[in-house]
Amino acid sequence: MSEARAAAPSPAAALPATLHHTARTLGKPAAAVKAAVYQPISILAPEDLHLVNRFTGGWTPALGRQIAAAGGAAGWFAQQLSASAPDTFYQATAAWWTSNTASTSTLLARDRKKTEPIWEAVANYERWCLARRIHSERQVLETMTAFWENHLHVPAEADAAQYFRASYGKTIRALALTSFERLLQVAVTHPAMGCYLDNAQSTKKAPNENLGRELLELHTVGRESGYTENDVKNSARILTGYRVDVWNTWNVRYDPTAHWTGTVKVLDFEHPNTAADGQAAARAYLSYLANHPSTAQRIARKLAIRFVSDAPSSELVDRLAEVYLANGTAIQPVLLELVDSAEFRAAAGAKVRTPDEDVVATYRALGANLRRPSAATPAANQILWQTTALGMRPFGWPRPDGRPDQAAAWVSVSRMLASFQIHQDMAGGWWPTAGVTYVQPAARLPIPTIAFGDFVDHLSRSILGRPATWVLTKAACDAIGCAPTTTITAAHDVIRWKMPRLLTVFLDTPTHMTR
Amino acid sequence: MGDNDQRSACHECDDYRISRRTLLRGVIGIGATTALFGTTLVQTAYAAAPVGNVLVVVSLRGAADGLSLVVPHGDAAYYKARPNIAIPATKLLARNGFFGLHPNLAPLMPLWKAGRMAAVHATGLPAPNRSHFAAMEELEDADPGSAARIGWLNRLVGRDSSTNVLRGMGMGMSTPITALYGPRATVTTASVDDMSLAGAQDNPRRTTAMRTTWGAAPGEIGRGGRAALAAVNAFAPVRASAAQPANGAKYADDDLGRALAASARTIRAGVGVEVIAVDHDGGWDMHTGLGTLEWGAMLRASQSLSQNLAAFYTDLGSRGDKVTLVTISEFGRRVKENANYGLDHGHGNVMFVLGGGVKGGYYGKWTRLAATDDADVPVTTDYRSVLAEVVTKRLGASTATVFPGFKPVTVGAVR
Repeated sequence: MSEARAAAPSPAAALPATLHHTARTLGKPAAAVKAAVYQPISILAPEDLHLVNRFTGGWTPALGRQIAAAGGAAGWFAQQLSASAPDTFYQATAAWWTSNTASTSTLLARDRKKTEPIWEAVANYERWCLARRIHSERQVLETMTAFWENHLHVPAEADAAQYFRASYGKTIRALALTSFERLLQVAVTHPAMGCYLDNAQSTKKAPNENLGRELLELHTVGRESGYTENDVKNSARILTGYRVDVWNTWNVRYDPTAHWTGTVKVLDFEHPNTAADGQAAARAYLSYLANHPSTAQRIARKLAIRFVSDAPSSELVDRLAEVYLANGTAIQPVLLELVDSAEFRAAAGAKVRTPDEDVVATYRALGANLRRPSAATPAANQILWQTTALGMRPFGWPRPDGRPDQAAAWVSVSRMLASFQIHQDMAGGWWPTAGVTYVQPAARLPIPTIAFGDFVDHLSRSILGRPATWVLTKAACDAIGCAPTTTITAAHDVIRWKMPRLLTVFLDTPTHMTR
Repeated sequence: MGDNDQRSACHECDDYRISRRTLLRGVIGIGATTALFGTTLVQTAYAAAPVGNVLVVVSLRGAADGLSLVVPHGDAAYYKARPNIAIPATKLLARNGFFGLHPNLAPLMPLWKAGRMAAVHATGLPAPNRSHFAAMEELEDADPGSAARIGWLNRLVGRDSSTNVLRGMGMGMSTPITALYGPRATVTTASVDDMSLAGAQDNPRRTTAMRTTWGAAPGEIGRGGRAALAAVNAFAPVRASAAQPANGAKYADDDLGRALAASARTIRAGVGVEVIAVDHDGGWDMHTGLGTLEWGAMLRASQSLSQNLAAFYTDLGSRGDKVTLVTISEFGRRVKENANYGLDHGHGNVMFVLGGGVKGGYYGKWTRLAATDDADVPVTTDYRSVLAEVVTKRLGASTATVFPGFKPVTVGAVR
């Protein structure tokens, strides 16, 4: 991918002589004047960097060391998929915010007493998700959790659903690497989804169509399966009974008196549905939907768009759908098939990072470490407003289809400029300032005395996981007013006060803003 | 429409004739099964080359209930279908023998009384589509024969050789709406203040370095980066302009208010904006708790809408004569209320047209409502007919370019 990102070789006339010299020598490790002293840090092979960029919050040198310890990217990926892998960060940070471990009744009490309004409780859940995406050792799990939370989307600001939102997210995380059928069974009947799409108030007398429709259209088979309006009605009827006594006792229960009974038919699914307790019928229905070929297509395409490219081939989607169906909707075999495809390998850098991904990747790229929130405006809380500034907090998308996942949605002028702003804020350590540890400028020097061109290469490896390109080196020279041969020490302006300007050169790149 | 036509025995026409003497003035050839409402008089010739006119499209996302905003109090089925949430005729504003406005639209009454606000009822997609997402795609792509994902606003701003980067804008949003998608570059921004390059104010090297980085960057991200750098320059006069709304305009403290205030400021600064898209994610998807005149989601949403639209025209002052604003939803809602004081997805809806060139009053052909579970407001006017009238008469665009293959019918709401 670095080849694709680098500009085509320019006419030598366009290049300052000094820059031209360095650009050539940079391609030869351990060559040139400073090479005896400057030792480039090790980075991943391009195909391994690609895997990491797609399935983690972004490259860090520490991640590179973990992958080496696992015997390579394939071994690391297998470790990441294992349910027994350590999950220390998640466990240690669950209590960073009270709300993320609190019961619904506690959330209600705190909301009523104004010690923690419910919007803040949900905000805290989003903050925890962001912190995990930055620091969790279970990077692939966090990535897949985000994927399913977007597919089975319950917005942060969805009124009554807020009292169940953290519980919903934790439930999805626990199943994020199991099977879609298990996820669907739990998500659709969860009070958060019930409250959001009105099933919690649906009755047998007047089944509310909202969840019954979106279950078909968005979560499973999609419109292309050809379901009818009558199917939508039956879908809603099957789901009646999963009640929440919203804005009152908030009791969550299955209420047989609210369940519509009688034969139901949706696509090829039929059920006599005679029992007042319709949970068995609902389970059978959700199982049918999860295993439907149209659902397989839908999930396969969505995974391919997330992890391969904005326009994956129908061949790849078909193959992933086959694997999905052959494995009873299990997720891991589909992921392994996906990363093993030539189409995946050829797609490095082809995806634009969404706003939350940009913020997470920026923390990782800069080596900024969050601490447990204790100050007034700690970074672990401010991080949510950083994603908001970029146009999309993790669960901020206001509609049930989940936020879009293709480039055209995330390259607006507004988003680009907001990213540049956040990059600068963090490059300077100006926002947030509390509850976060930034790397001090002098600590970025690999050796006490280094040529600027080599320093740019070192930073490129640390921040972007790849050697500096010609364009990057030129942009760094433009930004700082140095030549590649300029000698940098701790006394140089670059270290004393221009480091924010230099770091933005790496963050404000197509490389950092794609994955 | 066949079924709906059957139901329409035209009682409503009789009701309407009693109170509205202008009904048939200038209207020729109305079928026996439908009635045309409106203040259509003599069609006046319009200026040949509109210059400096602006179109603002406000999308009421989630789909507003048009029957609550513009109530057909003359159609008995409305009250039969909505025993709890119907609005009593006596509470309606601008009431004629058949229609009336939701009481919360009071802030818009000065515009209405001045003949600068039209309500076109029973508009929508040609065929019902109860999916938010599919309906929004179809509505905003507005080119059913083509697989290309190009929105109608993109075709509109790309209709000639103009290269102004600010000609088409999405305001108050970070993600461009489908209507703006397409090959013609447009600018989507969350706010006026967002239109600046961090670090460039006190450091000219910054812009140079960014041009190096983005000058030849490939793909969508590369286009995005270059568009951002170009748009920052072009937008400088807006950022330099006063942020305070003019003429004492009071917007609501919400997203729609902020987006419309930013739109008015952008229009005033004269940077060549011609089309502005604004979203109102105002909680319109009222499956539950739409409510009554005492409580509920409709009160909040209608208040936000009317206060902000009124503030927008107050803010624009005389410049408002050049600015035409249209509201649109992806579909309407069901005629009959559900068990939760709410309404499920339906079909026909109302579109408001305000400001420059508007001939005020009620428009649209009405087909008698049914009060059955599945009944929709039957669509009698393709939404593109309303939009086509605005873009041809106000912006001088051709229907063939903006809505390929579509043959609009005359609505008469725009001069």
